[in-house]
Amino acid sequence: MLKRSEVKSLISRFPRFEDNTLSMYYGPRMPKAMIKETEEVVALARKFKEEVVRPLYLDLDRKTHEDLDYIPEEVVKKANELGLYTMWIPKMFGGKGYNMPSLSFFNEEVGSVCLGFANLIGVHYLGMAAVMMLGNTRIMKKILGDVVAGEKTGNPCLISYAITEPTAGTDVEEVDLEARGRLVCHARKVDGGYILNGSKVFISNGHLSTWHTVYAYGDLKRGADTKVALMVRTGMKGFSFGRHENKMGQRACPASVLIFEDCFVPDELVVLNPDLLKSFTKQSPRDINMRHIDYVFSLSRAGVGSFGIGAARGAFEIALKYANETEIDGKPMVDYEWVQCRLAEMYANVRLGRLAYMESNLANQHRGAYNLLQMKPIYYYSKYLPEMYFKMFVTPLLNSRMANWLMSKWYLDWQKPEDQNLTTGLASMAKFSCTDFGVRNCQMALELMGRAGLRHDSGAEKVLRDAKLLQIYEGTNQLNRINLFKSLISPQASPRAAFFEE
Amino acid sequence: MLTALNKDLKPFEELITSFSKGELKPHVEEHDRFPFGTLDVNLIEDAFRKIFDLGFLGIMLPEKFSGIGQGISAMCMMLGHVAEVDASYSLIILTSSLSQQIILNAGAEEIAEKIYPSANGAREYLIAFPSFTDPGQATILPQASSGRNSYTITGKLDYLVLGNFSNWAVLPARTAGSKGYSFFLVNLNDQGVTKSDPIFSLGLHACPIVDIALDNVSAQIIGEEGQGQKYFEMTSRIMHVTTAAINAGIMRGSLKEAIEYTKEREQGGKAVINWSEVRMLLANMAIKSKAAELCVTQTCKAIDENLKDWGWISIASTLHVHDLACDVVTDGVQLLGGYGYMKDYGQEKRYRDARQVQALLGSVPLKKLALINEHVA
Ligand SMILES: Cc1cc2nc3c(=O)[nH]c(=O)nc-3n(C[C@H](O)[C@H](O)[C@H](O)COP(=O)(O)OP(=O)(O)OC[C@H]3O[C@@H](n4cnc5c(N)ncnc54)[C@H](O)[C@@H]3O)c2cc1C
Repeated sequence: MLKRSEVKSLISRFPRFEDNTLSMYYGPRMPKAMIKETEEVVALARKFKEEVVRPLYLDLDRKTHEDLDYIPEEVVKKANELGLYTMWIPKMFGGKGYNMPSLSFFNEEVGSVCLGFANLIGVHYLGMAAVMMLGNTRIMKKILGDVVAGEKTGNPCLISYAITEPTAGTDVEEVDLEARGRLVCHARKVDGGYILNGSKVFISNGHLSTWHTVYAYGDLKRGADTKVALMVRTGMKGFSFGRHENKMGQRACPASVLIFEDCFVPDELVVLNPDLLKSFTKQSPRDINMRHIDYVFSLSRAGVGSFGIGAARGAFEIALKYANETEIDGKPMVDYEWVQCRLAEMYANVRLGRLAYMESNLANQHRGAYNLLQMKPIYYYSKYLPEMYFKMFVTPLLNSRMANWLMSKWYLDWQKPEDQNLTTGLASMAKFSCTDFGVRNCQMALELMGRAGLRHDSGAEKVLRDAKLLQIYEGTNQLNRINLFKSLISPQASPRAAFFEE
Repeated sequence: MLTALNKDLKPFEELITSFSKGELKPHVEEHDRFPFGTLDVNLIEDAFRKIFDLGFLGIMLPEKFSGIGQGISAMCMMLGHVAEVDASYSLIILTSSLSQQIILNAGAEEIAEKIYPSANGAREYLIAFPSFTDPGQATILPQASSGRNSYTITGKLDYLVLGNFSNWAVLPARTAGSKGYSFFLVNLNDQGVTKSDPIFSLGLHACPIVDIALDNVSAQIIGEEGQGQKYFEMTSRIMHVTTAAINAGIMRGSLKEAIEYTKEREQGGKAVINWSEVRMLLANMAIKSKAAELCVTQTCKAIDENLKDWGWISIASTLHVHDLACDVVTDGVQLLGGYGYMKDYGQEKRYRDARQVQALLGSVPLKKLALINEHVA
């Protein structure tokens, strides 16, 4: 009927068919073993949430209200013992090498009981993603090696991601804004390293982390073009913690102020700066800066999406339990149509949101940051090769300049702009849709439950408090809507649109 | 807005706003802290003495009981202004008014006479009430048994507002002789009353709420046996709109703080308020907030003028206001970004409080069904 060329041309029009139906194209390409592995992760998450999280989470929340300085170190120790901080570290760095997309399902499961708990684990992988997406294999090896060692010794070694500043939140997530923003973290080049001054705010797990991935700027007035990414270790001279915030929810997971006063960071902990960029790319520092941000957020926003669905599901499950156990006018609540319809809607929100974050994961797997590890041959090699092999052959390579160059090239230079757009756009979509679903389901649960839902012991009020944060961090839902327009709509369908209103 | 319709309220309004700003505002954060619901008696007494002396706590109480005999408009005006600063206090005032209304609607003048004119301080004047409960919807209520000329009550009642503060409570209980429930006046200092610790709730933390258990507690019936439902409906019918007034006040506070903050905060080299999407969110908040005020004002007017449909106008507009409020307070947090999520600002408290207010006088879906039942009846 139609010539192949015609078909091709028609399906590449906006909305480009393949980009809009990733599950159809990429589902079949998923390594079979990855599904089994993901099942294992979900089972493990379910066991963990029932055995560890559920018995503890309400008391933990209460404790953080009673004692504003409380930091849940013992919880982190427990998670460390269970191996949760190395599960998603690739094998070549000594981790257990579970596939990254499976982390989303873990987040959702644990988040459906307690988002604070889920963040205590999830944020660490945000820190890891930020290190990895900077492409420096030597530093990855060092930092992730510390995490693995921390698991063996029983001293948890977590990574935080520290980019927000007191006067720059939205600004540090988008280079056009970063270029105009009021930045405060300054990195001055000196012999052998940088001197870091300034502060970061709202850093999740700050007080609990050993390593912090920090962005600073060579020139505060030209932040977008002079970004320096460095690793700072807790205890380094000139680095201290300020207060940890008194938040509405997710109180199990502290948000900290990090303070740098003439903190010297040696060259070997500098992950990226405009000079290093020159060694592998001709693109401008600003473009690479945006690419890196997009890359990190393509992963982390899908992750926040899964937290959002955790919240949506938590609210649904609490409401369902209530409806199952309650009567109205002598009839079980679940026998009423209006109750069934509300619960159906909440359930649908959960599933629709899950599709959104899975779609974002698929984009990352096939067109973005996970593409290397998820190629079938590489996936199977790394899954089935014995650990010894990694230790003997792969790990030593990571210190080599070649490995560094290749990784940086792969992650920061070779990626196609259309793939960057697809991954960041879908991650933004998952982020704002899922978190909006989360808050909506909490609202519905509270309405359904009346005064019963207001009580702390019901769990319903807590998930409402917890869920609100999801609409704010990893880019406010406003920024994420703008980013979706910028990356999924504008390139093909609104090419003349300008961004960030000059 | 209410004062625009009713000029007589102006002097009250001035008193209430200066009271809220002067007496309540400095303590908002402190009263929101854990442990919740341990009312600082001195402060309450101090703060309340002022409005108490002015007669505001008896704003809808007839003059013969030492009230000032004002109508629903004055009540809404007061609750709204207080809620703009700290809605917990609106809950305290509302709860005491709900008890008053039950007593009045039951025609139990002897009880009003006994308590109000001679009340000495807030503990005696503010009568506890399960303000979040429509007793008709409760599956279990305490059981009252009648002796020769009095009753005793046994059983559990959850979520009693002011239960650990007040000397008296107005409580629903079932009796053997009637199908419907009845209301009783109970002395909360009676030996047979056990009170839980204050309940950790979502919002309105300054106002204590407890569960109580009663064991053979003597009680005085309010009105007639079995007529509780009738008194509650008479009360809630008129009082629904007061909960809307509280949420309208919360929305005003939220909008105000969002505007102030976004004017100050800069991102991308300009005040955040100058990003067009921020303006759009603010506009949506303003529309909802204004619409809510209109709902409250017009409902009060309908009640004052005794419009034929005022009952269901009241509940319909109230439910609508609650809906709007939950949206507004969510965006109110959003516009402050990360800071909105912190207790250093007022927005996270409003986010919690508005939902708590929404659940007053019964759950939302059941209130909706009650509305349509009234309409199609
Ligand atoms: C509990 C918590 C944990 C966090 N964890 C971390 C962490 O681990 N690491 C980290 O680096 N950061 C973290 N953050 C920071 C978080 O990412 C920022 O709060 C977020 O990016 C928003 O920035 P902001 O708070 O400065 O808000 P602002 O950027 O000041 O935004 C204020 C309001 O203005 C709007 N706005 C701003 N600019 C624009 C624009 N150009 N167009 C339209 N609207 C705009 C926003 O949408 C928002 O509604 C955390 C925050 C919280 C609250």
